[in-house]
Amino acid sequence: MSASAIAIDSVPHKAGPNVVRFGMITFLASEAMLFSGLICGYMVLRAGAGAAWQMPEGLKGGFVLVKTIAATLCLIASSFTLHFSEARLIKGTRYGKLLLALTIVLGTLFLCNQADEWRNLFHEGFWFNSAGIMGSCFFVLTGFHGCHVAIGVILLIASLIRALTGNITPTKHGFLECTGLYWHFVDIVWVFLFTILYIL
Amino acid sequence: MSFWRSSFARCGLVLTVLLAGLGTCWADPRTSNLWWMPENASEGGVYIDQLMWFILFLTGIVFVLTQIVYIFFIVKYRARKGVPATYSHGNNRLEIIWTAIPTAIFIGLWGYSNHLWWDVLHSTPPANSLQVGVAAYQFGFSFQYPGTDGKLGKAEASFVSNDNMFGNDPSDPDAKDNFTSSVLEIPVNRPVHIRLDSKDVIHGFYIPQFRIYQDMVPGRMIDWVWFTPTKIGKFQLACSQLCGSGHYNMKADIEVVSEADFEKWYQEKAKAVQPQPGAKLTSVTETKDQ
Amino acid sequence: MSQTIVHSGAETHTGTAHHHELSFFHKYIWSEDHKTIAIQYLFASLFFLLIGGLLAMGVRYQLAFSGQPIPLIGSLLPRWLVTDAGAIQPQGYNGLVTMHATVMVFLVVMPLLVGVFGNFLIPLKIGAPDMAFPFFNALSFWLFFASGIILLSSFFVPTGFPAAGWTSYAPLSANGAYNGSQAGQSLWCVGIFINGLASIAGAVNYITTIINMRAPGMKMFRLPLPVWALFITAILLLLAVPVLSAAAAMLFFDLNFGTSFFEANRYGQPLMWQHLFWFFGHPEVYILILPAMGLVSEMLAVFSRKPIFGYKAMVYAMAAIGVLGFVVWGHHMFVSGMNLMLSSAFSFSTMLIAVPSAIKTFNWLGTVWGGSIRFTTAMCFALAFVSMFVIGGLSGIYMASTPVDLFIHHTYFIVAHIHYVLFGGSLFGIFGAIYFWYPKMFGHMMNEFWGKVHFVLSFMFFNLTFFPMHNLGLNGMPRRIADPSLYDFLKSSQPLNIFVSLSAFGLGLSTLIFFVNFVYSMFKGPKAPRNPWNSTTLEWTLPSPPGHGNFPVTPTVYNGPYEYSVPGMDQDFLPQNQPAPEAARVAVH
Ligand code: HEA
Ligand code: HEA
Ligand code: CUA
Ligand SMILES: [Cu+2]
Repeated sequence: MSASAIAIDSVPHKAGPNVVRFGMITFLASEAMLFSGLICGYMVLRAGAGAAWQMPEGLKGGFVLVKTIAATLCLIASSFTLHFSEARLIKGTRYGKLLLALTIVLGTLFLCNQADEWRNLFHEGFWFNSAGIMGSCFFVLTGFHGCHVAIGVILLIASLIRALTGNITPTKHGFLECTGLYWHFVDIVWVFLFTILYIL
Repeated sequence: MSFWRSSFARCGLVLTVLLAGLGTCWADPRTSNLWWMPENASEGGVYIDQLMWFILFLTGIVFVLTQIVYIFFIVKYRARKGVPATYSHGNNRLEIIWTAIPTAIFIGLWGYSNHLWWDVLHSTPPANSLQVGVAAYQFGFSFQYPGTDGKLGKAEASFVSNDNMFGNDPSDPDAKDNFTSSVLEIPVNRPVHIRLDSKDVIHGFYIPQFRIYQDMVPGRMIDWVWFTPTKIGKFQLACSQLCGSGHYNMKADIEVVSEADFEKWYQEKAKAVQPQPGAKLTSVTETKDQ
Repeated sequence: MSQTIVHSGAETHTGTAHHHELSFFHKYIWSEDHKTIAIQYLFASLFFLLIGGLLAMGVRYQLAFSGQPIPLIGSLLPRWLVTDAGAIQPQGYNGLVTMHATVMVFLVVMPLLVGVFGNFLIPLKIGAPDMAFPFFNALSFWLFFASGIILLSSFFVPTGFPAAGWTSYAPLSANGAYNGSQAGQSLWCVGIFINGLASIAGAVNYITTIINMRAPGMKMFRLPLPVWALFITAILLLLAVPVLSAAAAMLFFDLNFGTSFFEANRYGQPLMWQHLFWFFGHPEVYILILPAMGLVSEMLAVFSRKPIFGYKAMVYAMAAIGVLGFVVWGHHMFVSGMNLMLSSAFSFSTMLIAVPSAIKTFNWLGTVWGGSIRFTTAMCFALAFVSMFVIGGLSGIYMASTPVDLFIHHTYFIVAHIHYVLFGGSLFGIFGAIYFWYPKMFGHMMNEFWGKVHFVLSFMFFNLTFFPMHNLGLNGMPRRIADPSLYDFLKSSQPLNIFVSLSAFGLGLSTLIFFVNFVYSMFKGPKAPRNPWNSTTLEWTLPSPPGHGNFPVTPTVYNGPYEYSVPGMDQDFLPQNQPAPEAARVAVH
């Protein structure tokens, strides 16, 4: 309201990296509940459907499994590359940007695989509205997760731009750190999803 | 400024009382229980009413006591010149007391409720129960009776369809002589065991005089509801779960009749049904007239 | 994230050499000042209160005078809502009820408590210059506002409002062929989803701010109770809202894309919707009451001139409500067709959750005891809150008892319960809090005389409107019935329905007094001093309204929040930022 300018000598009015981190972790708790809701729904529906729960051919074959495992490994590997990239970028040592770029590539590979899988399923006639309850669940779970990965990739690209323009320094790296936390979270969610969707 | 001297407060109280009185007089030409529960007409309802009265007394006492104390404090401790407020941050002994006592009361109340829930209301239905299937659809009810063999036969939610609203198992011969009715006709003083299902959305099976409510859920055959009507008369079954544009008028008649009258009605209805082979067990014609 | 924080922190606050004037856009539209955002929330949600109230008036009109054209405006209303003659039709009625509750819950009470008082009070009370993430705070408001517009926009689609109740039970809600308002229901899902994003953004902000940005000396157990309440509420929001978002997303897909999550004949599960909804829904109702409890506790202490009785017990009770709130959702589903064993278990947890509410009630009585009570308008509302909450809470006990719920489930008894806790509780608390903090927000006092008139009339009409609903419910009147006169067993209670409706109109009109007072005082109200109520908490040490950036010098906190009438002091309150004078005998606790 009345914007009297006053010299502020006050508690951290710029939220420092720690506060930003704290906020991000809080937010991820919320995200975790979102996926918990979806996953609980999945389990209830699967238990209730009994024999009507039909895995489509396109998800059964060994090749599909191999492909998905490869994509999963990409995602897991990307967590590590991001972890090391973060440490390097913050300290300002070498290869930070390269590792970050690698992370982006790995994330994109995962997304491409997902898109390919969806396409195959579509051609097989297995789609969210035509494949019974298993279809509904599969597409919504992978879709929600895919969106998160896509947002993650965008955040990673933004981080890379920051790194390239010299906007990541030992004192200024909240954005990068949050992206990292988010990315690890998305990874962990995938491990759960992979287990319940493809293995169990 | 004192609360009681505040003309606002006095006005408010007097007006509230006056208007409440006015409401009573105006609503006077009433025909039955305007202010209270309709007279109970089932065996289980007796117990529910007892529990209800028990809670009414319990909460009534709690309410009156807390409000008396509260209003007394409010009046007594209104700001007065030269009388400072007591400086106190609380009292741990009091905290323990007023945590422990309500906890004990609530656990006791749960015990009482739970006893009724299992031992009276959801005990196994007696062997002589009349079995009735109840199907709901947008927007009406239909009832199915066991026919001459006295057996409804097996049913499953997955069989429910337009042609088979009650979900009868097509392979079960017991269901072949079942007949349907658009009125829930039941004999007095004999347990009625109902089996509920719904064709489309969730509907509600609600009879206030019997103190009974159960949602009817598509995809679920609910078979744990039974009750014993104790009064001859006409009642109304109201759908009390919002189910769409016709919800406001989704109802069915209930007739509780003497055992003899019931027998007569039942035989007539049962005779009319020729056991027919095949899947189309239940005619929907009678229920379409909604 | 970090970028925005740096931006909003550095340049606007320091203002040493040149004074950075904010543009109109940054001052009033996209403001990142928590106080401005609070006021934006206040205006928006009061506007929605008018709308939600008008919808309620429509509901009450129909219940009293079903089939009769609405006077004056009847013929102007869209055809999904009224007949050609201008009388409300059944489907339109369902839409009114649905949107009345949706608006009141998601666009009125939640934003008033969390958006307005959360934003305004948290930084001021803990001695912080702003929220931790001002950008996300501003975003939260605009998301909320957008969700309101989206939800209400269904008024203009041909099939009208969503009509499946605010609980949107599937499969009715999941299929346009069943509910007849596919577009409205879809907008509902989208609106609720966006509203959820706004809530989550707010919740993250509050939690982070409270944990990280307290002034020196502001220990957790020195936080004023509204801050504690909002803190716990934020945690509930954070964990409960995303579950509703997930459910709303599935519902949206069912409605529009042919998935079958809730469609029984395609192996979906209708009851799953109820579990997901109430897993959110029950924490939600505590989200709607906890902040009000906090605000009321503070007003009771201030105007009794006493420390709050049992401060820690109050905090623990709220925490207990928060935790238990997540395990009682099934009490809405006793007769839904879920396993009977679960009903038993949920009944038990529901009984337990009433205990912390009992603790709070008794501590409020303890606070008033021995006080020196000043009957300001704010205090009147706070006092009334306690009584009304007790009535609403006690009626909850009837439903928590499974056999009794068999009889009263889905009747007007529940409607009475809802309004006693939500109107007599939350909204009374909010009214009180507006009278109380208005001076700090706008720099003017509200008119006390008209405040009292508003209080007395709404107290009266509130009880006349909602108390008889208990009787209607016991008489067997189901909720969400457009025309009770169609039922033989309800014919006798029609006069009571008319009485309730007339009282409801009275309640609506008395609320208008508040609106007039609110607007008038903003321009013509007497100037507010810094500390009109002789209060101890930090916001009252600042000018009214406080400047951008709040505290010129970071305060240091020496005392608990409610040191009133400390023996040995001249004045009867000891501000949190003042060391106790030598002579004062502050109790150590
Ligand atoms: C602010 C909101 C709010 C609050 C605080 C509460 C509080 C409580 N509610 Fe309520 N409730 C709603 C909002 C709220 N509710 C809404 C909106 C619905 C309907 C939703 C819908 O279907 O649309 C609902 C529905 C609802 C149901 C489902 C009814 C049905 O559909 O059949 C039940 C059942 O158990 C219930 C129980 C309770 C209980 C036990 C409490 C307790 O927390 C109350 C505890 C308080 C007290 C008990 C009073 C004070 C205590 C004392 C004075 C101490 C001593 C007392 C004794 C020893 C008895 N509520
Ligand atoms: C915070 C929550 C809140 C609030 C404040 C209210 C306020 C009111 N509510 Fe509401 N209500 C709910 C939450 C709330 N309600 C919920 C959750 C349901 C369940 C819905 C469901 O079943 O899905 C419900 C359902 C509900 C019903 C049951 C409908 C049914 O089941 O068929 C009724 C019926 O009387 C009702 C009435 C009212 C009235 C008269 C008010 C009044 O207090 C409103 C007072 C009016 C104002 C505050 C507005 C200001 C005044 C004007 C705009 C102008 C005045 C104009 C004239 C007098 C003509 N409500
Ligand atoms: Cu069927 Cu309401
Ligand atoms: Cu609840």
